[in-house]
Amino acid sequence: MPFSTLHENDFLGRQEELTALYKRVLQADMGTPQSAALSGPRGIGKTELLKQLFGLLFWKQDRVAPFYYAVNSALLSSSDFSKTYLIQFLCQRLAFEKKEQSLLYYDGISLDDLSALIKSRDAVWARDIVDQYERNVGDPVSALRIVLAAPRRSALISGMPVAVLIDEFHRLKGLSIEGTPDPRLVSLFEEPMSFRKTPHVMAGNAAEIQELPISSCLERIPIQPLGFADASAKVLSLLRAYEVKGSVPPLLLRRLGGNPFYLGCISRAVSSKKNPEGKDFWSAYIQEIMDGALALSWSSVLKNFFPDLGLRRTALEISHKIYHSGEPLSCRVIATSFALTDSQAEVIAHTLYLAGIIRGEFGVFRPVEDSVLRDVIDCLYMKEIQAMLFHDLERDFLEKLLPEKAEVVRFDLTLPMTGEAELVAAKCLEQLGKNLHLNQDSVGQLQIAVIEACINAIEHSRGTERKIYVSVIVDGNTMEVAIESAGQEFIVQETGEPFGDREITNTPGRGWGIKLMKRFADDVRFEKTSRGIKTVLIKHLDKSVHVQKEDTINRE
Amino acid sequence: MSNFSLSSKSAQDVAIMMPKGYINDMVAEHLEQTSEQLLGKGVKKIVVNFAEVQYINTIGISIFTSIVQKTLDYNGVLCFTNMKKVHRDILEMMGLIKYVKVFKDEEDALSFMNGKG
Repeated sequence: MPFSTLHENDFLGRQEELTALYKRVLQADMGTPQSAALSGPRGIGKTELLKQLFGLLFWKQDRVAPFYYAVNSALLSSSDFSKTYLIQFLCQRLAFEKKEQSLLYYDGISLDDLSALIKSRDAVWARDIVDQYERNVGDPVSALRIVLAAPRRSALISGMPVAVLIDEFHRLKGLSIEGTPDPRLVSLFEEPMSFRKTPHVMAGNAAEIQELPISSCLERIPIQPLGFADASAKVLSLLRAYEVKGSVPPLLLRRLGGNPFYLGCISRAVSSKKNPEGKDFWSAYIQEIMDGALALSWSSVLKNFFPDLGLRRTALEISHKIYHSGEPLSCRVIATSFALTDSQAEVIAHTLYLAGIIRGEFGVFRPVEDSVLRDVIDCLYMKEIQAMLFHDLERDFLEKLLPEKAEVVRFDLTLPMTGEAELVAAKCLEQLGKNLHLNQDSVGQLQIAVIEACINAIEHSRGTERKIYVSVIVDGNTMEVAIESAGQEFIVQETGEPFGDREITNTPGRGWGIKLMKRFADDVRFEKTSRGIKTVLIKHLDKSVHVQKEDTINRE
Repeated sequence: MSNFSLSSKSAQDVAIMMPKGYINDMVAEHLEQTSEQLLGKGVKKIVVNFAEVQYINTIGISIFTSIVQKTLDYNGVLCFTNMKKVHRDILEMMGLIKYVKVFKDEEDALSFMNGKG
């Protein structure tokens, strides 16, 4: 189904990305765009973006024909794939000419019926493609080559460029001939992708796409999590659809990390209550990570990547260790800890990386910056490895997550980027700490982290708006400070870490700000927002300082 | 905004510097210049009293590296006193702590310095 079921007005926080993609593929008219792959974690909204793009291209212009195809893992034999790809392309391309929505749903049509339709429309370009396909249908590789080139051929004959939007593209590594998967078949996409009148936009599992033989032809477009305001608006919109009134507690919203899939799961789970309160949202969250759609989704990922039960169990234990070790783990360490050979450890760690459960760079593996995934792993570990009872598990998570105080204190500051603006933010935290009788040492540490985040915001600021936006939330024993400013994107996709200014990091003694933030805050996140960039610092005020080994390593 | 001030005093052959307020790049440079002048005049024992220091940032603290370096070049001794835990943690993280002596207060630092002759 190429169209999204989500109304464009409810597609929140993605207008910038959607407009950029729309403009990008429209350049096919001038023959200038390059094919690209949308990159981002599971649930971030790549599929939705692709579908919204299709809708926009289909209804709002008539220069570039859109073609949307979602790779089906049940149709990966070369002949099945070729046939469905060709039929769907021809149906969608014909539908676009007169904006006939009904034709988009003809994907079950036989090739004979489609040929008759083509004849009745007098579509010479389509007849030519079908003839060519039918002549080569006995040779799977030739037939595949012809269908992949069909958008190109139609563009050459009819003069109308085609934007090819392929979802779940990573599944094509399973393309097979006579039952034998051959990942090299994907490389047949290389030629049609490089043709400028047929820009391809792919979505799917970024780590797996990166391992396909055509990844070098694709420019990567990162899709960032929704910002706080957009995430909040998204939940409100979802709850409205369920005729429910309520707002997610800010700390839970932050925990969901701007991931539209997570936001959807929680909204659906809480919708059984008419007027849910803060604790209802937290309870819904705990249910979701224990056995809701959210838990099921991640369990399915584990099952898909580790079909063998014993291996899956080991993979879960390794994930749990990586998420709790406080430092990146090498294959050697993993092998030693779990009595595995180096190659066994390497295979499991690499598979976890492909599954999006851990990050892996330069031979070491670390957690993904995703608090929900962390909770799901903890939950699965306690359930499956520690055999903890459901009731105990629920109680543990409630104690851990549910803030003790019902009252949430929130304030916002807008600071001009003048000399020592960071001190204003630091002083505010100090006063707030005194007013709320918070642990002074912890507040002191957070002050230092905030000073560094503000300095960072000033250094990375590239916009004309010389302001820093600081928001502080105290919810129970947790203080969260977000520092936002106009600035260039500064997050490295592979690591989720900000890249330092090369000049700054090469200056002796510089480049310590991020390390210091990570040492003094319990959680540090970097987000791209509509305004620019945002650093979020979270501190659990009842905890003693956790000194990470990583810092100790970097001390000298 | 910054309420920085720097006062220094001498006790026997020991110079004591008391920065106050927010140690950022400018303040640390000021400290660097002062310590360089003292070392140039032959003072080899320097105490930095952090009692009045409210905040430190990493840019400022990085300049301490060159103060440490210069003190070592002059065969001097550098002591820090009255440090808050958070400030000490920063110095520790940046690997500076092993090049300086840290004492609870000036009195302890002076006893140590005097013992050094």
